[in-house]
Amino acid sequence: MNAQWARAFAMLPDRLAAHLGVSAAALALAMLVAVPLVLAMATRPRLRGPVLAVASVVQTIPALALLALFYPLLLLVSAATQRLAGFGVPALGLLPSLLALALYALLPLLRGGADGLASVPPETLDAADGIGMSRAQRLFQVELPIAAPIVMGGLRVAAVWTIGAATLATTVGQKSLGDLIFAGLQIEDWALVVTGCLASALLAIIVDAALGLAETGLAVRRWGKALLGLTLLAALTVGVVGWYWQGRAPQGSQRAVVVGAKNFGEQFILAALIADELKAQGQPVTIRSGLGSAVAFRALAAGDIDVYVDYSGTLWEAALSRKDSVPRARMLAELRTQLPAQHKVQVAAALGFENAYALAMRRADAERLGIRSLADLAARAPGLRLATDLEFQSRAEWAAIKAAYGLNFARLTAYTPTLMVRALKDGEADVITAFSSDGRIAADDLVLLTDPRGALPAYDALLLVGPRRPDLAGRLAGLEGRIAVEAMREANWQVDRDTDKQTPGQAAAWLARKVRLGAR
Amino acid sequence: MQRRAAQSAVMDAAPPALDYAGVRVLRGGVPTIDDVSLSIAAGQLVALTGASGAGKTTLLRLANRLVAADAGNVRLGGEDVATQAPAQLRRGIGYASQGVGLFPHWTVAENIAAVPGLLGWDAAARRAKVAEMLDLVELPRSFAERLPAQLSGGQASRVGLARALAAAPPLLLLDEPFGALDPETRAALGNRLEALHRERRFTALLVTHDLADALLRAERVVVMEAGRIVADATPAELVRSVHPAVRALVDAPLAQAQRLAALQARKAPA
Repeated sequence: MNAQWARAFAMLPDRLAAHLGVSAAALALAMLVAVPLVLAMATRPRLRGPVLAVASVVQTIPALALLALFYPLLLLVSAATQRLAGFGVPALGLLPSLLALALYALLPLLRGGADGLASVPPETLDAADGIGMSRAQRLFQVELPIAAPIVMGGLRVAAVWTIGAATLATTVGQKSLGDLIFAGLQIEDWALVVTGCLASALLAIIVDAALGLAETGLAVRRWGKALLGLTLLAALTVGVVGWYWQGRAPQGSQRAVVVGAKNFGEQFILAALIADELKAQGQPVTIRSGLGSAVAFRALAAGDIDVYVDYSGTLWEAALSRKDSVPRARMLAELRTQLPAQHKVQVAAALGFENAYALAMRRADAERLGIRSLADLAARAPGLRLATDLEFQSRAEWAAIKAAYGLNFARLTAYTPTLMVRALKDGEADVITAFSSDGRIAADDLVLLTDPRGALPAYDALLLVGPRRPDLAGRLAGLEGRIAVEAMREANWQVDRDTDKQTPGQAAAWLARKVRLGAR
Repeated sequence: MQRRAAQSAVMDAAPPALDYAGVRVLRGGVPTIDDVSLSIAAGQLVALTGASGAGKTTLLRLANRLVAADAGNVRLGGEDVATQAPAQLRRGIGYASQGVGLFPHWTVAENIAAVPGLLGWDAAARRAKVAEMLDLVELPRSFAERLPAQLSGGQASRVGLARALAAAPPLLLLDEPFGALDPETRAALGNRLEALHRERRFTALLVTHDLADALLRAERVVVMEAGRIVADATPAELVRSVHPAVRALVDAPLAQAQRLAALQARKAPA
């Protein structure tokens, strides 16, 4: 437990600074856009409706989706600039986070600005005009000071929202406090989740308080208060800038290899394993974990990350746009030839295990009923209850096995993964869906049912190398076929279990020893 | 009497302080000011009265370009206002309105010194002016550092009047400046304005819907109806006017005054 907290705190300073940096930059960008718009709305009230409506529509898009949308958009932009001007635009990391968060901060800023200016009494405006103030004098000496509390209210809301939403920037590969939260949620490491959430909340509270102090201090001319607020904000800014300087300085000319990971435990372990392997070969390495599943492959193809592990069935559909089902060996062979041809992505190694959908039963039940395969199950299904995860019943896999084996269960229920496992344990269900490399299979003594008719697609774990560092394929080819599914299950269990929980790094080290990688 | 005649001869030679010639203002194609001509000599206190919507405020706001004329022209000391930059023009004209419109984030001193500030006076001159103006509108000097929220309605109106007078403008535009006050405070401020006018002889255009106020304070009363001037006379002439619109306006306060007098007479024996 102490090791967990230590790990969480070790991750904190870096992520905190990055989080604050991306939030502040996004807020600054949003203000850059909002200020001219607010001034335009002040002079032309007819603009107010449409401008606020557009900002409101943006707000209705979930922040997570907004972030994810910017990735393909920036890839298009990057392709266009590449063709026209000869340079690309980074589509992963800071830029999409900045744009999405800035868009998100726009509504409170615009509304605060517009409402603030609308709050100035008409007789005050008339007096300002009547005594001979110019437009600019009226704006800066009368309208803005009177509007300030409402404008600042909008700014404070925007700041708090941005700091909160910045945790989601992790999914497009921007370092943030979300790294702790997403990683922690996936491997059920509550120390990480709590640290990430508390840090983010605390940051939001401090920034809000600092802005509040500065605002009231300036409004009632209590300079001490204003100074305290401004000092607090300045200190935060200096902290971020200092962190960037310090982080930037030691980097040499050779860019570190970027190892990617999607947002679940097995991916974290494999990323750590790959990173260790490359470090042992003298390569500088950084890990970008928590990538959205849709983002990861495109990030590799675009050169934003250099290496990561994906699964053959996923690539078959997402990268090659294939819907047909083919045998495991043929899928692998086609991926090995088509991925380089279509995306300049190489399959450096098939690691030797699958992380595929499967149906699982308690060993005692399976043995008592004599069920080993889906074909055996079909005969018994009318007397059995199936519990699935939430998406399984809408997936092609379910349609495929129903059709291939004629499965017809007594009852069918969808659960969240944790509740699904509980339902099996409590005897509420007899058969559940499972992933073949899940650590629970060994731990809970489950049996995976075989698929003799090949109805379920293969999900071989493949080590992919992107176009920017093709040399990595050779460096990592030694991993081919080295990781047996039992070893992967054990490593996954080490980070999933509640007692004696290991970090992904520790599990990766264990796995490396187990499969005798390197000289460790 | 001789001196007065001489003075008025000089005034006749000089261009009028404020002069409207054939002015028309249209709002949505409908004239709110309909071919108005009016000439005000320097130093006159002219009351502008009439029913709501008669065009009083619009006529007043034409003088400092808060409203633009669609036809005709408005001259200030002989110069067409349309050729002058609005901000510069307005800094030379005192302006006070019913809403007062004190700047809520500025102290009383800062409000009073607003126009001197725009005109670039130094801090010492502004400070001296604030003290002088507080005395003039009969407010304690300690009020200088108060914020408008800490003032009563009457005090705020006094500050508004002080702000309008601070840069000693030759022309004062007063749009129902005390309209929102209780009768007692209104009378007190009206008296103060009258005294100030006697003392300083600025030209003033005073919009008021209170005819008694207009008749008792102004040297000249202009009555408007539906965007036109229907009467332009001294108070003494006006009360004898036969124009129906004027009569309607005049009779109401006269009847009221007579009833009050009768009430007083009846009570006297008891």
